[in-house]
Amino acid sequence: MTSKSLMTLVAVWLAVTGAETALGQDAEEVPMTFFITSEPIGDGGNLGGLAGADAHCQRLASAVGAGDHTWRAYLSMQARPGRPAINARDRIGDGPWYHQIRRPDRPIVKSELHGDTLVEAQRGSNLFKLYALTEKGEIINGVGDPLPMQHDMLTGSRTDGRAFTEGPDRTCNNWTSSDEGTAQVGHSDRVGNGNTSWNSAHATTGCSQADFATWGGIGLFYCFAVD
Amino acid sequence: MANARISVVTLVLWLATGADALAQRAPAYASQMTFFVTSEPIGVGGNLGGLAGADAHCQALATAVGAGDRIWHAYLSTQARPGQPAVNARDRIGTGPWYNVRGEMIARDLAHLHGDTLELARLGNNLTKQSALTEKGQIVPGLGDFPHPRSRDWEYAKTTPNSNRHEILTGSAPDGTAYDAAIDYTCDNWTSNADPETDGGPRIYGGAGRPNAQIGFTDRMGGGDGSWNSSHGTRGCSQTALVLTHGIGQLYCFAVN
Repeated sequence: MTSKSLMTLVAVWLAVTGAETALGQDAEEVPMTFFITSEPIGDGGNLGGLAGADAHCQRLASAVGAGDHTWRAYLSMQARPGRPAINARDRIGDGPWYHQIRRPDRPIVKSELHGDTLVEAQRGSNLFKLYALTEKGEIINGVGDPLPMQHDMLTGSRTDGRAFTEGPDRTCNNWTSSDEGTAQVGHSDRVGNGNTSWNSAHATTGCSQADFATWGGIGLFYCFAVD
Repeated sequence: MANARISVVTLVLWLATGADALAQRAPAYASQMTFFVTSEPIGVGGNLGGLAGADAHCQALATAVGAGDRIWHAYLSTQARPGQPAVNARDRIGTGPWYNVRGEMIARDLAHLHGDTLELARLGNNLTKQSALTEKGQIVPGLGDFPHPRSRDWEYAKTTPNSNRHEILTGSAPDGTAYDAAIDYTCDNWTSNADPETDGGPRIYGGAGRPNAQIGFTDRMGGGDGSWNSSHGTRGCSQTALVLTHGIGQLYCFAVN
């Protein structure tokens, strides 16, 4: 049995028994392999492309002793002439991933995250507000919390984790623009815009830090370890 | 230790936002309200007096805030019995759209509420901790709120409105339908407050083949998925058993007209 299927079984068992307890203390140790950036790069949607965003993930992870993993930002890139699109979901490895609390019984499972089957999409995943933590273990301010709201997570992605194939730019020109374009964002607290999407709740109207702020974000994004 | 730290952070956030102010937010649109979470349970575990008893509870609470002119149904399924077909929660609640007491839309229609297509399900409805309000406009305390060592003890929970009680009885699958008749997920169609036998130890467990009720979360957190209507079963059907996993037997109520 693979560790992934074991974890899935553990999750199913806990779901069945309804145990929302700190059972993780006695179980095997798992490393943090998922976090939200505790700070933005700070130049709106200009992240220095995917490379710049990945480096930001790596730097923040290293600062808390998790730099031995290879980190990727959860961002899509739209197709350009001679260059195919890149899907966020294809960049982050296979998981399962564990948030900063590192509870083995609360894995973030790739198919649940993206709702690959109807029942997975209907039920949801372990990515919700109390577990959507920064690398330092902080909760991101969301709806109902003190301002400024920071729940908008840059993704440039559709709900299935793939790049947009039509319509206007949703990636701040593939994460190089801090003025023109728009960015598709999800909500770390799963609240807002009439849906509960973590990765594709709405688009911004621009790519500056100021525009992001009007929507409830500061340019944070999700980081996943591929190994 | 990490869990305790998170709880403290959450408590601080609650205090900073004024939990009292949130809890006492005045109902502004009671006459237009078509959805609420019951502010109180019936109180005898999974024995709700059947669907009729649960519907009457919804109606009484709605009436108390001036919304009694609508027909209210509890969001509950019942399982098939000999000579008696199953009842699906989704077939009992009208067609929407449904609005909470503050005029916020919970879902446009049945497909939006349940995520009938992949895209609808991935996006989700608008039933969140912020919108899943009681008929009095209260937010239902959820995971991480008001941590207390006796939060799983009914003798404590009944003395305060401020303990985690995010589990709502539904008896339903994620698509809003009843479960197969062979396995009880409805506390015997909401007529029983019996608990399963223990395995010799102090703990009781629900699950397949044992008395329990399927629940969902108002705050969309916990159980491995955060489902609003179908995350896991309770440990049993008594009032004290419901509290073991942070529910007190509250219901979702929808106006059918």
